[in-house]
Amino acid sequence: MSEMTSSLLPLSGVRVLDLTWHAAGPFATRLLADYGAEVIKVERPGTGDPIRQMAPFYKDEPGLERSGLFMSLNTNKKSITLNLKSEQGREMALGLVEKVDVVVENFAPRVLRGLRLDYGALSARNPGVVMTSISNFGQSGPYRDWGGSDLTLYAMGGPMLNTGHVDREPLKVAGRIPSYHVGATAASATAIALLAAEESGEGDHIDLSFFETWMGAIDRRTTNLLGYQYSGHISTRPAVGQMLGSGIWPCMDGFFFTTLVAPRFPAMARMIGAEHLVDNPNWSTPAARANPDRVDEFAALAIGWFIERTRSEIRDEVDKFGIYGGPINSIEDFVTNEHFLARQFFQEIDHPTTGPITYPGYSFRITSEVSEKTQPEGPRRRAPLLGEHTDEVLENLLDMDVDEVAKLRKEGAV
Amino acid sequence: MPSPVARDKGRKRLPLEGIRILDFTVVWAGPYATQLLAEWGAEIIRVESTKFFPSTTRGMIARTTKQMVEASGLGGGFPDRDPGARPWNRGALFNAHGRNKLSMTVDLTQPDGQEVLEELVRISDGLIENNAVATMDRVGVSWERLSKVNPGLVMVRMPAFGLSGPYKSYRTFGSHMESVVGHYSVFGYPGEDPSSSGTSLAADPAAGVGGALAFAAGLRQRRRTGKGLQIELSTAENFSTHLGEYVMDYTMNGRLHEYVGDRDSVAAPQGVYRCAGDDRWIAVTVGTEEEWSSFCEVMGRPDLPGDQRFATVEDRHANHDLLDEAITAWTRDRDPVETMNVLQAAGVRAGAVMNEQDAFADPQLADRAYWEELSHPEAGMHLHPGVVWRAERTPNRLERAAPRLGEDNEYVYRELLGFSDNRYARFEELGHIGMDYDESIP
Repeated sequence: MSEMTSSLLPLSGVRVLDLTWHAAGPFATRLLADYGAEVIKVERPGTGDPIRQMAPFYKDEPGLERSGLFMSLNTNKKSITLNLKSEQGREMALGLVEKVDVVVENFAPRVLRGLRLDYGALSARNPGVVMTSISNFGQSGPYRDWGGSDLTLYAMGGPMLNTGHVDREPLKVAGRIPSYHVGATAASATAIALLAAEESGEGDHIDLSFFETWMGAIDRRTTNLLGYQYSGHISTRPAVGQMLGSGIWPCMDGFFFTTLVAPRFPAMARMIGAEHLVDNPNWSTPAARANPDRVDEFAALAIGWFIERTRSEIRDEVDKFGIYGGPINSIEDFVTNEHFLARQFFQEIDHPTTGPITYPGYSFRITSEVSEKTQPEGPRRRAPLLGEHTDEVLENLLDMDVDEVAKLRKEGAV
Repeated sequence: MPSPVARDKGRKRLPLEGIRILDFTVVWAGPYATQLLAEWGAEIIRVESTKFFPSTTRGMIARTTKQMVEASGLGGGFPDRDPGARPWNRGALFNAHGRNKLSMTVDLTQPDGQEVLEELVRISDGLIENNAVATMDRVGVSWERLSKVNPGLVMVRMPAFGLSGPYKSYRTFGSHMESVVGHYSVFGYPGEDPSSSGTSLAADPAAGVGGALAFAAGLRQRRRTGKGLQIELSTAENFSTHLGEYVMDYTMNGRLHEYVGDRDSVAAPQGVYRCAGDDRWIAVTVGTEEEWSSFCEVMGRPDLPGDQRFATVEDRHANHDLLDEAITAWTRDRDPVETMNVLQAAGVRAGAVMNEQDAFADPQLADRAYWEELSHPEAGMHLHPGVVWRAERTPNRLERAAPRLGEDNEYVYRELLGFSDNRYARFEELGHIGMDYDESIP
């Protein structure tokens, strides 16, 4: 992203001190960077963010500048190395706090307190700063210092009991989806708090708990929690094929997923060649179709129709009949999909290790001015090499000179 | 007449106080965005209609009967399992996210409804919607038109596949968007086909927070430039960014992943293990050697760390099935919440797969005063999940339960739009203003 395009973006002029690592925190600051914030990522000297050492690696060879996970989570950022445990490193961090609008961190709650870099210390140096703290369970309470993983935190907070097959153990959503969601939530919280801070000049401290974020997420959890309040009902995983016309159907070249809402029943009946059901009193009303036998009878008709067609043929038919659904695609199907290619969703980003590689694109785009010239989001800058911007940032923001930085580097502070 | 969502007098301003947003959202993704914005002070006006029932928003159908609730096997959802006279006001599906929002009704298919749309846009800061593109086209919601009515409008549109491209017209729920971008190819049980994976709806909350971020960014852009803007969030594209490493492994290495269930590619053992009771489970992640020896000690299996089959993390991956059996032998007769506490006390990452009862009894959530009580005129007094994030210097709490259909018509038409008694009465007669769905709606 050139300086010119970045000045057109919503968060331009916002500077973020990024004390995050792993996935949730870096995804939060990546989103801020995507929309114009200048993000300065602070990493440990020598090894950096531990995510640099996590798969997938380019050509499967590990290395600090080879992780695709790190590369995709850290586009558009600058990297500096600071040893926050050293007195000089801490003082430099506080110096940077004075020059930023936002600090985001996702250490265990005891860590920054131990380093005397908690909100009290930061706001004493910069009362206008918005600090966002992401943690497993929040900054208080009996679980404050408990450990967690994507699996254990999703199990506690998320709709895991509703996910998977009723006869099997509950299933986690793929990979680091639980962390990404927490990161995105933190980015939205930070942006909202920033709007207030810019207006009032007073900063704030955001306390975001992974556990509470998922407990309050709308993926079934909040509906089921209120449902329990309403009726004492404890939810579980729905039986496969429980809802009429809904399910993951085998087809000629894979699987196709549909969900049938009541008003679309006649349309789906017509689509699968079962038009005779539409006016049949055993089928025509929602009450009649609530009979569990109807679910199986309908499935028997539908399956014969799906199995004779390919995903793309079915895709055209559900579009024509207005049925909600989509093919079960592989990641390859997605990356090569005509729709996302037509929208120029993917971005090719060059990196010294990999050369140009395709990345997923922006979460959202400004489209009120759609000519090429005024499109504010250009392609992203690649993720930074470890400490790539240390000299530049310390010289520009802390007025340090090259010799000073070199000396501190020798002493292990940067 | 003050806004019906009364904020305490004298309290610190909320970040979005004074921001008015027209809410055309349906189902989950859009409503979650406006829920978050409402929690932080924005005045959210849901623009609804007595003539149109968008399925899966105020219920699956408008007139759900008691018999349907029982037959569906889905249980819950309505207070005492009774949909009541106005089921659209009593469902958990809507009432879970409707808190702090207002509801007004207008029939946008009529010319005078279209006049009201423009009057509303003129006095609002933003508009958020997540409908099928054709639905918004039909009621005249477009940037080209509305930016002329209010050039400062911040408009966030969240259609499934965006406003352009070959899939623009496709109708989907969040779970189908997930299947299109590849989630169902990496989420499932090892050796099974996708039909056994069940359903993930993670794209909905993802789009909700993405939409809230988009709106906040749009507001800042308006502050900087003095001009409104349209932001487009394809909920499919937005969710696909949460699969970043799978995309990168394919584009860097050509690799496609197989189902791993609840296992991890690094930590082992990791899994979800059966506990005592019906549908009771505990999730455990053992990453470090320290965790491994603590875990074995707590299980009363000091022999395991010395066992050659489990000596290193590679060994534990290779013999994961055997380990799972040993772990289940220990968990099977235990309570999951108690086991979580025992393991966490020993420094092992563990979490009960919490059902609703566990959640409401949880000491951490109680200590942080997470649950908040709200009284709803047709559903009663109940506890709700609290605000999604806390701000230390900004008081934050829920103010009002979800609005009944058309509950705030008086406020919106009279107070905000300055309707006279005559015009208000005429709009009631024409069916724009009301608290019941038209008789033609099943």
